[in-house]
Amino acid sequence: MKKQEFIEGLQEALEIEKIKLDENTNLIELDEYDSLSVMAIIAFVDNNFSKKLTGIELASITTVQSLLKLIGLENFSD
Amino acid sequence: MGSIIKTINYFLPKNTISNTDLEKQFSDWDSSKIENKVGIQQRHVVGENETALDMAYEACDELLKDFNKEDIDFLLLCTQSPDYFLPTSACILQHKLGLKTNIGAFDFNLGCSGFIYGLAVAKSLICSGISKNVLLVTSETYSKHIHQGDKANISIFGDAAAATLISVSDTDKIFKFVLGTDGRGKDNLIVCNGGMRNKTEQKPIEWTDEAGNLRSNNYLFMNGPEIFNFTIENIPPVFDQILEKNHVLFDEIDYVIFHQANKYMLDYLRKKMNIPKEKFYNDILLTGNTVSSTIPIALKNCIDNRIVKEGDKLLLLGFGVGYSWGGTIIEI
Repeated sequence: MKKQEFIEGLQEALEIEKIKLDENTNLIELDEYDSLSVMAIIAFVDNNFSKKLTGIELASITTVQSLLKLIGLENFSD
Repeated sequence: MGSIIKTINYFLPKNTISNTDLEKQFSDWDSSKIENKVGIQQRHVVGENETALDMAYEACDELLKDFNKEDIDFLLLCTQSPDYFLPTSACILQHKLGLKTNIGAFDFNLGCSGFIYGLAVAKSLICSGISKNVLLVTSETYSKHIHQGDKANISIFGDAAAATLISVSDTDKIFKFVLGTDGRGKDNLIVCNGGMRNKTEQKPIEWTDEAGNLRSNNYLFMNGPEIFNFTIENIPPVFDQILEKNHVLFDEIDYVIFHQANKYMLDYLRKKMNIPKEKFYNDILLTGNTVSSTIPIALKNCIDNRIVKEGDKLLLLGFGVGYSWGGTIIEI
């Protein structure tokens, strides 16, 4: 999966409509980001990478880029 | 000789908390989000002097109007909200209901998997010749375990009781069980204080978590992301094991009822497991997550609303606190 494809999917999974996500967007500062968003990210990553992210790991993320790093950049094709 | 679910009745306490009520209480709480994502519009909660035992009585009393109570020869009560440390609530319930004294009765402490475990025990009692008519009761008041400032858990959980009559039958309508336990998950859904390990603190330390919920060790703690991870990792293989153990193909299953945790989780599980929407129950709109009673409530609603009919095969699967899980197939 390409990073851009992931970001577009993430935007949909988090149901963010007001802004367009990019690598530098700080997720936790978004109004829409809440405890359900953590589950939405776990589900989205589980579905696309068969990778398990824990709540503790996700508590440490800030930007989209930090999420990409947490998943592992080697998992993206670009 | 086999066993069959003969009838189900459930009881919901009178008081309700609507999403609008929650929005008034917690200014930053978005009620439309709760309804759309978690799938809950209101939850019933007991009054201050009302307990799980009281709800259990109500659920059973109604059910026993259509059944000779002299024929009940075992009483099982699943609760994590007993009236007392001792005696066991089931003994008090036996007396309140006026059941015979020459019957067995005990409580067992399980949450969202409790109904399935109760079915497994009821079937065992019947098939071993110990009992002919087992009254299985699930009754829970998580509202008493939740901190009044814990908006997340207040939003999710509702109180309820269900009574299910399981009887001896010529043909076995309750099939084989798959049961599982993993105590490594104990810290992810727990009321830390109040038992023998940690006594209730008179002046507990309170803190606000990252989502703005007030917490203390005297009250229920749920690590949502970890429970979610446990579920999406463990439940799909358990589903397959239930089919395999019973030599039943998925196509032969008419309907699927999982523990009704929340709409979001069930939607994700359904999609991940490729279960068609029309074969899958997902509705806690007016009750919230009632822990051990979600499956019997769903089952009764499905029967009453003719979503399922006589002869249908249903796969039931409960999972949660412990961790503990269990599933089986029943025939209506």
